[in-house]
Amino acid sequence: MSDRIKELTETARLVRQDVVRMIHLAGDGHPGPSLSVVDILTALYFGTMRIDPKNPKWPERDRCILSKGHACPALYAILARLGFFSLDELPGLRSLESMLQGHPDMNKTPGIDTTSGSLGNGISIGLGMALAGRIKNRKYYTYVITGDGELEEGVVWEAMMAAKHYRLGRLITIIDNNEMQSGGPVDKISGLYPLLPKLQAFGWHCQEIDGHSFVEILDSIKQAQAEEERPSVILAHTVKGQGVPFMIGDNSWHKRVPTEGELKEAIRALGGDR
Amino acid sequence: MKQENTRIAVTETLMELASKDPEIVLVCSDSLLVIKAKPYVDKYPQRFIDVGIAEQNAVCCAAGLASCGLIPFVATYAGFITMRACEQVRTFVAYPGLNVKMIGANGGIAAGEREGVTHQFFEDLGILRTIPGITIVVPADAGQVREAVKAVAYTAGPAYIRIGSGRDPVVFEKPLRFELGKVRILREQGTDVALFANGFILPRVLAAAEELSLQGIQATVVEVHTLKPLDVETITEVLSKTGAAVTAEDHNIIGGLGSALAEVIAEHRPVPLVRVGLRDIYPRSGRPEKLLDYYNMGVSDIVAAARKAIQKKAKR
Repeated sequence: MSDRIKELTETARLVRQDVVRMIHLAGDGHPGPSLSVVDILTALYFGTMRIDPKNPKWPERDRCILSKGHACPALYAILARLGFFSLDELPGLRSLESMLQGHPDMNKTPGIDTTSGSLGNGISIGLGMALAGRIKNRKYYTYVITGDGELEEGVVWEAMMAAKHYRLGRLITIIDNNEMQSGGPVDKISGLYPLLPKLQAFGWHCQEIDGHSFVEILDSIKQAQAEEERPSVILAHTVKGQGVPFMIGDNSWHKRVPTEGELKEAIRALGGDR
Repeated sequence: MKQENTRIAVTETLMELASKDPEIVLVCSDSLLVIKAKPYVDKYPQRFIDVGIAEQNAVCCAAGLASCGLIPFVATYAGFITMRACEQVRTFVAYPGLNVKMIGANGGIAAGEREGVTHQFFEDLGILRTIPGITIVVPADAGQVREAVKAVAYTAGPAYIRIGSGRDPVVFEKPLRFELGKVRILREQGTDVALFANGFILPRVLAAAEELSLQGIQATVVEVHTLKPLDVETITEVLSKTGAAVTAEDHNIIGGLGSALAEVIAEHRPVPLVRVGLRDIYPRSGRPEKLLDYYNMGVSDIVAAARKAIQKKAKR
């Protein structure tokens, strides 16, 4: 394992600990879907994106839209660890005085590029950001992180058609494909699968990867960046609750608060205090 | 009655703004022909985006554009913005306070182009009024649409301008100065009653004031072109003078100007109020003037409403 991958792995481990701690303290939140997206977000923010924590509104920065806004504890932890704001903010999640809203708010939290939480809208907002980059002749990338369940929303496919039409090579969507949604397994709720042929049919540059392999995530982003004529989508297979064994396969952890004992067990599973 | 197309007024004003300001962008949802935007597209192809028949996508796309510093105007039918894409307007434009400007065509039943209910929009203002942070403008004619477009373009934050069918009566022969957020007193001949109105129904209200004058009743006519933020101060002053009020609007009787005035009256200056508007029913297709008469928004209805309000005042 290269040093870079080792570093990302360690960061993701700490972020996962942050996530379960924050949700325990807040007494509310979505641990399962936050944990599945940690590696994707860590690879982006620590390994890919051109950003400046001292200048969160830097016009040339790469943008990231967390369309699955309910996974924001993971993003908040990453932004804090990058220095967009203090780590001391994390325990305030979802409390009245905190800058950390239950779902991301671009005006309250430094480093959040888009208000989100109402599912399915991220790619469409990304469409606008990528078009703005073209109009203003800026070279940034726009990354959109969506869940798979939210692809059931119609506006997703409206945006995919438009992004293909406008040949937005700098729009890169990563699907956190954990195969679960609020009410249960995606394939028990909708006819979304098979997903890859649908994405291909919409004319995007498509890749399929292991969403918990930093090598595959980083490599797929590189390949997506190399594609200039088409928007890119990376179908990243993930596991809801990744890193915390007792949360895996139990969809009650979509939205559930770990008790004191469960928190201890989760932290232990995540390598404890090394 | 002389007409001028409010849709062309939007496009021409956008072209004027775009010639000076590289941040102006037009976003359509296959609505290019609706707002007669061909000349704009020919001149500024890089700053025209058509997302197809997909209004939710148009609104979110505009949010993305605005968050990167552009000034997008989303233009299509009023109901497709305010109803089909309502949640996108609320959560991704209004909540973050993004600089997205929305243009809604076919505002009101008279502007429905005889298309029937699917294209007659009489709920747009009520819906948007309940969403925090949106400036709402209901101009009376094409000249005022031009002024309103310029005014909202350089007022930070979300805004909505209601426009018509393209066969829109000219209300003001000479261009009038437009002040966003202020009412305009059009006629102040007496203090018997105040007639509050906005939009393309305004000529009827002015005609009603004339008619009332012949009957010995002197009315003040107030144009409330900015429905939000509402000029509560001036409205309250007028109410204090007249002690009776009528509202007239081409909108459902619930949620629009009548409701806004009722709120001001109840909280600031209780006086009798009679509302003229669509009485919470679905209208039919028809020629605009006939429709307004048929659905109780005729000159005689406004006159009757004024007499009723004055009667109520006398009984107090």
